[in-house]
Amino acid sequence: MRVSRATAALLVPLAALVLAVTACAPGSTAHRAGAAAPEGLPYDVRPLLQPAKKYLGVSRPKAPTSMDPVHDWTRTVGKQPNLIAYYAAWNDGFDATGVRNAWNSGALTVVSWEPRDISLTQVADGASDDYLQEYAKAVRTLNIPVAISFADEMNGDWEEWGTTETTPREYVRAWRHLHDVFEDVGATNVIWTWSPNIVEPGTHKDLRPYYPGDNYVDWVGLVGYFTDWDPHSFDGLFGSTLAEIDRFSQKPRLLLETGAMPGPHRKEHVRALFDGVSASRDIIGFAWFDHKARADWRLATDPEGVAEFRRLAADDLYGFDVRKVR
Amino acid sequence: MTSTERGPRVVSPVPAQPGEQQPSGYHLPKVPEAAWSMAGSARRTWVGRAVLLCVLAFQAALSLRLENTAFQDEALYLTAGHAELRHLLHGTPLPMDYAAYFSGSPQLYPVPAAIVDGWFGLPGARTLSLLLMLGTTGLLHSFTRRLFNERAALAAAALFAVLQSTVVMGYFATYDAPALFLLALATWIVVRTDRAPTHAVLLAAPVAALAVGVKYAAGLYLPTLLGLALLTAQPHRGRKALARPLLLLLGTGALLAAGAYGGDVLAGVGHTTTARAHGTDGAVYLLRRSVEWGGLLFLTAVGGAIAYARQGRMHESPLARRLGGPSRRRRAMLGLLLCATALLAPAYQMHLGTVVSLFKHIGFGLLFAAPMAGVGLTRLMGAHVRHPHLGIALWTATLCLGISQADWRFGNWPDSSLMIRTISADVNGTGHYLSSTPEVPAYYLRDRTTQRQWQSVFGMEYTDRNHTRHTGDDAYRAALRDGEFDLIVLDGFTNPRVDAVVTDAVRGNPHYRLLAHVPFHGGDDTAAYRPSRTAPSGEGRGHYRIWVKR
Repeated sequence: MRVSRATAALLVPLAALVLAVTACAPGSTAHRAGAAAPEGLPYDVRPLLQPAKKYLGVSRPKAPTSMDPVHDWTRTVGKQPNLIAYYAAWNDGFDATGVRNAWNSGALTVVSWEPRDISLTQVADGASDDYLQEYAKAVRTLNIPVAISFADEMNGDWEEWGTTETTPREYVRAWRHLHDVFEDVGATNVIWTWSPNIVEPGTHKDLRPYYPGDNYVDWVGLVGYFTDWDPHSFDGLFGSTLAEIDRFSQKPRLLLETGAMPGPHRKEHVRALFDGVSASRDIIGFAWFDHKARADWRLATDPEGVAEFRRLAADDLYGFDVRKVR
Repeated sequence: MTSTERGPRVVSPVPAQPGEQQPSGYHLPKVPEAAWSMAGSARRTWVGRAVLLCVLAFQAALSLRLENTAFQDEALYLTAGHAELRHLLHGTPLPMDYAAYFSGSPQLYPVPAAIVDGWFGLPGARTLSLLLMLGTTGLLHSFTRRLFNERAALAAAALFAVLQSTVVMGYFATYDAPALFLLALATWIVVRTDRAPTHAVLLAAPVAALAVGVKYAAGLYLPTLLGLALLTAQPHRGRKALARPLLLLLGTGALLAAGAYGGDVLAGVGHTTTARAHGTDGAVYLLRRSVEWGGLLFLTAVGGAIAYARQGRMHESPLARRLGGPSRRRRAMLGLLLCATALLAPAYQMHLGTVVSLFKHIGFGLLFAAPMAGVGLTRLMGAHVRHPHLGIALWTATLCLGISQADWRFGNWPDSSLMIRTISADVNGTGHYLSSTPEVPAYYLRDRTTQRQWQSVFGMEYTDRNHTRHTGDDAYRAALRDGEFDLIVLDGFTNPRVDAVVTDAVRGNPHYRLLAHVPFHGGDDTAAYRPSRTAPSGEGRGHYRIWVKR
């Protein structure tokens, strides 16, 4: 009897200890492995690449570092934009605050990154790698999706990285190098947006040589504006460029930089823009260039245009909270 | 109580009468040789068990504080166990022939471990190992007490309980804990039947055979069991003493032969144990690792063996002098046998040139050296525990080494929880996946994928669309060129060479998109065995790179 009591006295506390510590131990089960905090996971941008609804975007001065211009525009058009584009110079740091501001309002940021004061050959050769790596680390650390449109309008002759100073080969080489640096750093939350200008006088018609390849591009962005002298239709403005791109890429298209010149045609242009985007499944949205630059592209300058924009943007097809797309 | 009952009785002297022999008026009791009894008592039993309980509780605490996701071996055995279980219960075909390359029977441990895993998850399977390792320490205590005494037994248990191998195997869902437990049980039977009829030693045969079945490498320690059977044949000498090991050899051999005949395990034995591929780890390097991981206990055991050979008396009581004991030659042989057993694993791994699993195998040998280490520790402290500080210092040093090595060991494979969470939505029952450690996702995602869907980075064959067969690195390149894999997970260190091949093939590949760059703590599986090498990104951190089909 004494032996059994002694044995029990040995085993019971031991079993209790083991059970207690096991219950409290931060073990590693499949369940636990599957229950990691969502915020700890790298953001998967794939659902944002071709969402069911269209992006309704805007570019306004100081946004998204300050969201006041966005809120102001929201009041004008009656709908919260879910895409905010801004322009960054080479050697600017990554505007994590702006990207976070946009994200917190349910919008994705597009950085239009302009490599001024450095040649694309230098970029391709790694002359800016330290800068790029720091930038990419900042993007990765933020872990919020961001679209990067590097050296847009490369097919025009008005930019430093355009047709007069850079060859398509160097352009593609620089793009791929940039992409690879981001991949090496692990910044997988980038949507790579290749953005030529629409084919028009002063641009190269043959866009294919500038295309970095499907494996380096997520979106094809387009830069094109309705003007008084261009055709006043969506097809007339974008049709030939879209047809050209169809030859070599099936990536989703985004009208990254668009607008309509103020004047008698603005209302008509706004309607053409919405109709064209709505009609094409490949076009995932647009961003209105709401700046006064060379012309006054600001929407608010034309009440009729505002009214038409407001009416068409009210369609449920436009705008969605990017944070809820999974 | 009267005053006379309180102390020695005082007797008044009575004058002697002339001419008569007077008896003395008082009696001098016989003075005992020792002021205390050597015999056991309830108090001693309780004190001994309380100390053992503390040792076991401490061992449990050391093991349970370890934390990481499943190591690839654990994942493999548990996945195999689930597959074997489905095969046994429902006849589901096995995804692969586990017996052909497992280092133990795919049924004996994996199946019960998978059952526990199914109920309680990985912590449950690891707790099973903990219970087995606690049982091992308990058995060590018991047979050491039988061989020597209680004090040496407690010292042996205390030293063994804090070794890296004990602490890690106590929370490691692999073959090792059950195999070591069975070896300890077989040893216990051999020692406990020392005074029993000779044939009683046969009780150890099925246990020893089972230990070898659970993990083939346990066979390395069968000669030690035979030696113990000989040296502990207490009442017997000469040929009669040889009967015990002979019986044990025949019994165990017959059972092993029957097992080998009945099951298809010989290929696995050859592949993983007897004819294992030789590695490139040098003897000096392996010796250094062996010294780091078991040197202190081994030295203590050697000290104990020498001291025991010189003086067999295990008790301070003068009465102990009259007790019979083994002869000096037998004591020396026992010490030699137990200490030499600790050298078997390092020697065999030097022969194989591999450090893989050395830390665990060292633990197997130290189980046998631990009794002598217990003797060594008690002799170090001296008679009547005159120098407890020496014992405390030695145990503390063993503990510090054990804790730090166990922590380092358990932190040296990637914590896969984030990776699993990241890929879980991208796998299903039809895809084909490439992974640095396919066992881990195959285990965690076993409800969605099967083991066959996961390809490792240690060689593959691939036939492309033109029916050209590729092998080695070319197979990876061709498969990736064709977009064969639906998901790729590389950890950057399991096989850096093939990682580089895959990374190059994926870069610019239109089929794949880099989905995520998942950081992890721990990592550098190789460094787990080679601490001089640094982890991939330093400070024990690294990252998984995960690609998915576009």
